[in-house]
Amino acid sequence: MRTVSGYKATVGALAAIFWKGIKHYTRYPGSFLLVLVMPFLFTLMIFGMGQFVGGSNASVNFAARTGTSNILVYEILGSAVWMTSWVVVEDVGVALRDEQMKGTLEQNFLAPVNRFTLLIGLSLTDIVITSAVFVVVVGVTTMIVLPTAFLSLLQAFVILLVGLIPLFGIGFLFAGFVLRFKEPYVFTQILNLLFATLTGTYYPVSLLPYWVQFLSAALPQSYVVEDMRRIVLANQTLVSLYGSVFILIALAVAYPTLGYAVFKRIEKKASVTGEFSKY
Amino acid sequence: MKDLRSYVRYPAWIVGEFISTPLWFFFFALGVTLFAPTSPSSTSPQGGGISFFFFGFLFIILFGTGMWGIGQTVRNEQMAGTLEQFFLTPASRVTLIIGRWARLFLTDALIIGYTTLLLYLIGGGIVTLNDPGLFVFSLGLYELGLIGFGLLFAGLTMRIRSYNTISNLVFFGYMVLTGALFPVSVIPVPFRYICMIIPFTYFNDLVRHAALATPTILPGTLEFVIAILLSICMLVVGFVGFKKIEDEARMRGTIATN
Repeated sequence: MRTVSGYKATVGALAAIFWKGIKHYTRYPGSFLLVLVMPFLFTLMIFGMGQFVGGSNASVNFAARTGTSNILVYEILGSAVWMTSWVVVEDVGVALRDEQMKGTLEQNFLAPVNRFTLLIGLSLTDIVITSAVFVVVVGVTTMIVLPTAFLSLLQAFVILLVGLIPLFGIGFLFAGFVLRFKEPYVFTQILNLLFATLTGTYYPVSLLPYWVQFLSAALPQSYVVEDMRRIVLANQTLVSLYGSVFILIALAVAYPTLGYAVFKRIEKKASVTGEFSKY
Repeated sequence: MKDLRSYVRYPAWIVGEFISTPLWFFFFALGVTLFAPTSPSSTSPQGGGISFFFFGFLFIILFGTGMWGIGQTVRNEQMAGTLEQFFLTPASRVTLIIGRWARLFLTDALIIGYTTLLLYLIGGGIVTLNDPGLFVFSLGLYELGLIGFGLLFAGLTMRIRSYNTISNLVFFGYMVLTGALFPVSVIPVPFRYICMIIPFTYFNDLVRHAALATPTILPGTLEFVIAILLSICMLVVGFVGFKKIEDEARMRGTIATN
C-alpha cells in the first residue's frame, strides 16, 4: 500500500512536484532561454546607455561611484540576482494561479500532501533553474571578463542559495495573495520591478533616498547582490561578510515563517468562502 | 469599444500599467546615473540626457504596443476561444486588429502624458519639441511602420507556439539595437551594421532628431526619404503577410491552435 504520510511520502511528493516543474521548463525551452538571455540584454542596455551618458569617462565615473571599473561583472551580478527573484516570484507565487486556470488546483489541494510540502516542491525546481542562471550568466561572464575571480564564485553561489530561502518565503506570501486577489500578473510585474529598483540591481543601494534604503534593507536580494559583488570584485570572503550573512539567515527564518502563516490563513479563509475555483 | 470595455473591467491592470511603466523609466535612469559625470561642470550628452532617455521610453512604450497590443490580438482571441467568431464577422480582420490599436494608442498617450508630468514634478524639467511639425510627421511614419510590424506579428501567432519568448527577444533586441535608449554610434562597428538594417533605427532617429535636434545617422533628407519608404513597405508587408498566413491557417485548420 502507498504511504500518504511520513518521510518517504514527503520525499515522494517533493520529487513529483520537482519533476513536474522541470518537465514544464523542458517542454517550453523558450521561456528558459529567455531567463538566461535577459540578464545579458539588460546589462547591455545599461552599459550602452552608460557609455552614451558618460562618454569616454564613463568607466572612470562608474569607478568613482562604485569602487570598481569592472562594469560588466558589477552589472551582470545584479542582473543575475534580479533574474533569480523574477523566477521565484513567477514560479512559486504564480504557480497556484496557473493551477486555478488549468482547473487542477482543487485536485492538488485534495491530494494527501501537506501544503508546505507543495510549496517547497515548487521551490526545489527553482533551485535548479536559478543555479543554471548563475552558472550561465555569472559563471561564463566572470570566466571571460575576470578569470582571476573564478574561484570566488563558489562563495558567491553559497550566498545566492542562502538568499533563495527568504525569497521562497516571499513567494509563499505572494502565493497567498494570489489566492485572495486573483490577477497575479499585475502584481508580479510591479513586484519584479520594485525588487529591481530597491535591491541595487544596477547601482549601489546607497544611491537611493534614505527612506527607500530602509525598504531595501528588508529585502534579501539587497544583501545577496552586495555580498556577491564584494566577494567577486573586492576579494572578500564569507567570513568577512558575516554581518550580512547573519541577516540573511535571520531573513531565511522570518520570511518563510511569515509567508507560510499568511498563506495558510488565506487558504483557510478561501476554503470557507469557496474561493479556490474562482478566477 | 469592446477592447476599451474589457480594459476598464480589470482596474488592477490599469493601476499596474500606470505604476510599472514610469517605474521602468526611473529604474533605468538611476542605473545610468553611475556613468554620468561626477561634477556638474562636465558636459552633458548630446540631446540632453534625461530628454534623450525620455524619448527612448516613448519608443519602448509604442513598440510594446505594436508587439503585445496589435501582435497579440490574435493570441488573446485564441486563448479566449473567440477567434473563430472574431474571424467570421463580416468585417476586415485588419480593421478589427487596428481597432485594438486605437485603444492602445489612447492609453499610451495617457501614460506618456502622466510620466511627462511626473518627470516635471520631480525636477526632471519640461520635455520640449524642437520641430513639432516634423515630430508629428515622423511619429506618424513610425506608427505606420509599427502597424505593419504588428500585423505581421499578429499573423505569426497563428504559426508559432512560443510567441511570448519570441516577442520578448524581439522587444529586447529592439531596445538594444535600434538606438532607442542610446545612439547606435555607441555600438561597436560590426554590430552597428545590424542596427543599420533595422527600419526602427531610422524611425527612432528621425523622431528624436525632430524633438531634440540631435544629428541624424544618414544625411537628413536621405534619412527622411528612407523612413517614408520603409514605413510604406512595412505596412504593405504587414498586410500581405497577415493575409497570407491567415489563408494558410484556414486551409490547414490551425487558426485556433495554440
